[in-house]
Amino acid sequence: MANMNMIQALNSAMDIMLKRDPSVVLMGEDVGYFGGVFRATEGLQRKYGEHRVLDTPIAEGGIVATAIGMSVNGLRPVAEIQFADYIYPGFDQIVSELARIRYRSAGEFFAPVTIRTPCGGGIRGGQTHSQSPEGIFTHVSGIKVVMPSNPHDAKGLLITSIEDDDPVVFFEPKRLYNGPFDGDPTKPAVPWSSHPKGQVDEGYYKVPLGKADIVRAGAEVTILTYGTMVFVAAAAAAAMNVDAEIIDLRSLVPLDVDNLCSSVRKTGRCIVAHEATRFSGFGAEVLSIVQEECFWDLEAPIQRVTGWDTPYPHAFEWEYFPGQARVAMALKAVMELP
Amino acid sequence: MSQYVFKMPDLGEGTVDAEIVAWHTKPGDAVTEDQLIVEVMTDKAAVEVPAPVSGRVVSITGAPGDKVAVGSPLIVFEVAATGAPAASMPAAAAAAAPAAEPIPTAAGPRQGRVMASPANRRRAREAGIDLSTVAGSGPGGRILRGDLVAARPHSAANASAAEAAVSGPVVQSRPAGADVSAETSEIKVIGLRRLIAERMSEAKRNIPHFAYVEEVDVTELESLRLHLNLSRPADAASMSYLPLVVMALIKVLESFPQCNVLYDAERGVLVRHRAVHVGIATQTSDGLKVPVVRNAQSLGLWEVAAEIRRLAERARSNKATRDELVGSTITVTSLGKLGGIASTPIINAPEVAIIGLNKAIERPVVHQGAVAVRRIMNLSSSFDHRFVDGYDAAAMIQALKELLEHPAMIFIPKVKSK
Amino acid sequence: MRMNRHSRLHLPHPPARPGEAPDFSYVQLSPAGAGPRPDVNARARDIESLSVDLVRVLDDDGNAVGPWHPHLDPAELQIGLRHMLLTRLFDDRMQRNQRGGKISFYIRSLGEEAVSVAQCMSLRPGDMLFPSYRNQGLQIARGIALVDLMCQLLSNTRDMCKGRQLPVMYHSKAGNIFSISGNLATQFPQAVGWAMAAAIKGEDHLAASWIGEGSSAEADFHHALLFASVYQAPVILNVVNNQWAISTFQGYAGGEQRSFAARGPGYGIPGIRVDGNDFLAVYAVTQWAAERARTGAGPTLIELVTYRGAAHSTSDDPARYRAKNDFEHWPLGDPILRLKQHLIRLGEWSEARHQALAAELEALVASSWKEATAFGTMTEGPRLDADLMFEDVFKEMPEHLQKQRALMRAERSRSPEAGSEGT
Repeated sequence: MANMNMIQALNSAMDIMLKRDPSVVLMGEDVGYFGGVFRATEGLQRKYGEHRVLDTPIAEGGIVATAIGMSVNGLRPVAEIQFADYIYPGFDQIVSELARIRYRSAGEFFAPVTIRTPCGGGIRGGQTHSQSPEGIFTHVSGIKVVMPSNPHDAKGLLITSIEDDDPVVFFEPKRLYNGPFDGDPTKPAVPWSSHPKGQVDEGYYKVPLGKADIVRAGAEVTILTYGTMVFVAAAAAAAMNVDAEIIDLRSLVPLDVDNLCSSVRKTGRCIVAHEATRFSGFGAEVLSIVQEECFWDLEAPIQRVTGWDTPYPHAFEWEYFPGQARVAMALKAVMELP
Repeated sequence: MSQYVFKMPDLGEGTVDAEIVAWHTKPGDAVTEDQLIVEVMTDKAAVEVPAPVSGRVVSITGAPGDKVAVGSPLIVFEVAATGAPAASMPAAAAAAAPAAEPIPTAAGPRQGRVMASPANRRRAREAGIDLSTVAGSGPGGRILRGDLVAARPHSAANASAAEAAVSGPVVQSRPAGADVSAETSEIKVIGLRRLIAERMSEAKRNIPHFAYVEEVDVTELESLRLHLNLSRPADAASMSYLPLVVMALIKVLESFPQCNVLYDAERGVLVRHRAVHVGIATQTSDGLKVPVVRNAQSLGLWEVAAEIRRLAERARSNKATRDELVGSTITVTSLGKLGGIASTPIINAPEVAIIGLNKAIERPVVHQGAVAVRRIMNLSSSFDHRFVDGYDAAAMIQALKELLEHPAMIFIPKVKSK
Repeated sequence: MRMNRHSRLHLPHPPARPGEAPDFSYVQLSPAGAGPRPDVNARARDIESLSVDLVRVLDDDGNAVGPWHPHLDPAELQIGLRHMLLTRLFDDRMQRNQRGGKISFYIRSLGEEAVSVAQCMSLRPGDMLFPSYRNQGLQIARGIALVDLMCQLLSNTRDMCKGRQLPVMYHSKAGNIFSISGNLATQFPQAVGWAMAAAIKGEDHLAASWIGEGSSAEADFHHALLFASVYQAPVILNVVNNQWAISTFQGYAGGEQRSFAARGPGYGIPGIRVDGNDFLAVYAVTQWAAERARTGAGPTLIELVTYRGAAHSTSDDPARYRAKNDFEHWPLGDPILRLKQHLIRLGEWSEARHQALAAELEALVASSWKEATAFGTMTEGPRLDADLMFEDVFKEMPEHLQKQRALMRAERSRSPEAGSEGT
């Protein structure tokens, strides 16, 4: 076991997989010699060589397309898209090709590509460095969508994603790279070394897709969330002394419907929280599922805590970011507190 | 002139409707504020309703025996525009329910639509409660869970008194030209009788009754009773078996706490009570009532006796309050000389046990090897077999018998074990 | 010279519209056998002329001339002719079947048979092909059974795509032909990635891909050339310039200002412009590119100048935007006729043998069709189970799809008509 922040955990996952499986290759902008703008691939090209860890042109469409071609030729590429904000040039190759190759060839061909990309705000990055587009990808059949919230999960989920023969888009909340963040920007940053999930096994292990993590068991309300909001929601509930059951979905597709529904059936109250914009966000899908499966157990309407439906602003970072205050208002509403 | 609509008031603790017992006014009458206008009965108590305003009665809703939902219109008054108390004018700020109503009412359902959360709709459905008959105390008249709890039917035997005509007028019919044998009379089943009927039905329907009858040799008990009567306090009535049985029962329940529980069906839990509140089934001219000796475990024998006597008197004279008629955790029933040799008492839901005393009578029995005349009294008990197994029921009655046959043991404190 | 005082917008026009006489004077031609054949290791900048001239081997009389002459064995050429003729006859029959309501959709490759067949024959079986939807000659040349192709067209119980794809979107794992996508140009950079992987693994397989000149407008074209150039991937990138993309004339893909092959040198990749209807030239140029790639000298961009003899697809009517009978006026002729003529010139073929071959192949097509229809047609026979819709979305069917499949089954049991119509 070792203290690892999320970057180190991701690096460890890729290191282990590069060693374990000679068909694994990494690729992306600045990932090779430089080690990635967030240092996620630090040291790996030095260790495994330029044929295993490739720098690429600045062409997300080309990165995804060539990754597909490589995977059809027996490699297992892990492509980094430098910021999720830049994934859109590759969107056609992801949606029209990557997601469908197995389906349209009736399984004769398949593309075991993992696309890693930092996402999310809380870093004063403005419109082009703060987006959370995971919801868009959950709407595309044929790709799996993952977003860990801590180093332990990040490593285990990345290893699982790489080994998965289906394509995975792996979102990494960049605000959580160095430590958990509870939404309060005035407090000093907390490192992962102070958190139990910053204790990471140095060897090979997997965290399964399709299984949510019950971060905190509780009886009064269920909070379904992922990414940075896991910590924001936990802090808000604690501050209000609400006995919240906090569930980190972490695997959006496939989704752990059983666990999230049994929680809502137990508590009768539900909040869905994510950083991404509100309208047609992934929260809407989760909420829909909860409504379908748990309707007769609902004591109050399900609440959503989300970003606003605006492009991500720079100067209004903390008014935009769904912080504890927004979670608190949702708790108040769903718990029917005065 | 303007109209004032007086709605059925919430008579306390989430009552959802009330039955009209008797009108003391009619359309056209002039009434003054506070004048008695109608008597209604809830499942807890009888209530005299005073006029909220002075004015003329325009219309009344409901005939004796009808149930009117809390919050629905009861009487319409015509009041003088200037003379009307400010209270009768709806508040200028329209959005909220009129704060002017003198008796706070829960707003009724909007426009015939019932507001209730999905969970509460399910609860209502499972409990067989028609949501349209439930008054919601939540925002906008929303039905809350507590409203549903109050709406649940209560135990069969526990009802409060009503004023005159609880059984309703007797209607006789004499078919023209018929002979006497065809004559019938109709008694409307309303008031206390209706309540008793509903609750008895419910108890019998829901509870699998397990009957256990045992004979108790009360020769010693009789001896004690007679001795107690010789030296009783001046104001005390004659000691009967009942207080002695209650004392023994309290002691026995320490070892059989599972018989001193109330079953909350909605939540699916048995609520075990430390205290013993003993219901004493009491026959009154109006019907069966069960006043409750509260915290009997902290009373001495004469106090129990006095309390039983006091409650019985109040029940028979219709003065028992609602609080005196609710909350028992176990019930004892005795018909004294009319007790018969065995009976099958109906459990006072949501309790799980009822102990019945049959008549005490001298019988020849075998006693210490020889035929002797002893005083024998049967105990006929019923238990809720869902929650009390036959073994436990039998063991409890045997323990009770043990105490009653050696009455000194009733008063000897248990050895405290560490 | 009058100075123009305003900026102006140029709007490309094809030379002839419906009702006008076909005019192919815009097509840059070169004499047969004229251009040089450089070394496979030559630098792109040194051989730029190849990207604007036209490599030809067969002259107008059917003689093979010049340095690009591949000197193929006549037997090989006869095989090539057979493949091309089968492709055409297969196309003809399937076109008729579509018009007769027996299949729902079809795309012909009339006039472009040499592009697929000659190129395929010059590559090795282990080379991975990333075609567009107009390269059925590759399937034929790689020996994929007609029955299999036809079952895909019918989406019947033997459909290689299990009912998921539009007709003509074939694939063959055994034949190393990648799954065809309806999205334009996406295969181009995928081929480059495949080739990069081959190089990473140290194999001498290469990848080849085809797009139309119209599709070269897509960003994927740029990505393919860029990545191929950066990594010097062992890939052959083919732009099949058949002059039309539905009704979009090649001018809208930039063909008026510069040849498509000339884009190659812009990326440091050799561009070779070749007569796409000349079997020998196509074979020779592809062979050159293959050798270049296999010896580590990197990628090649080949522009095959040809003509889309028929409509874009069965949903298109070219008479609405181009001159009728234009194919008959195409200066570079018909690939099948030209190879036939060449073989006859060599004394290795005859009209009689050609007729016999045609008859044999027609019979093959007919018998294959009969065999294919036994596995189901659009109107009768066995059908694919709709449950298949939920398989292969992922490797293992997740719960939510299992639930949806159950719902679909329930729906179908309610109304047998719903969801049971043919493709």
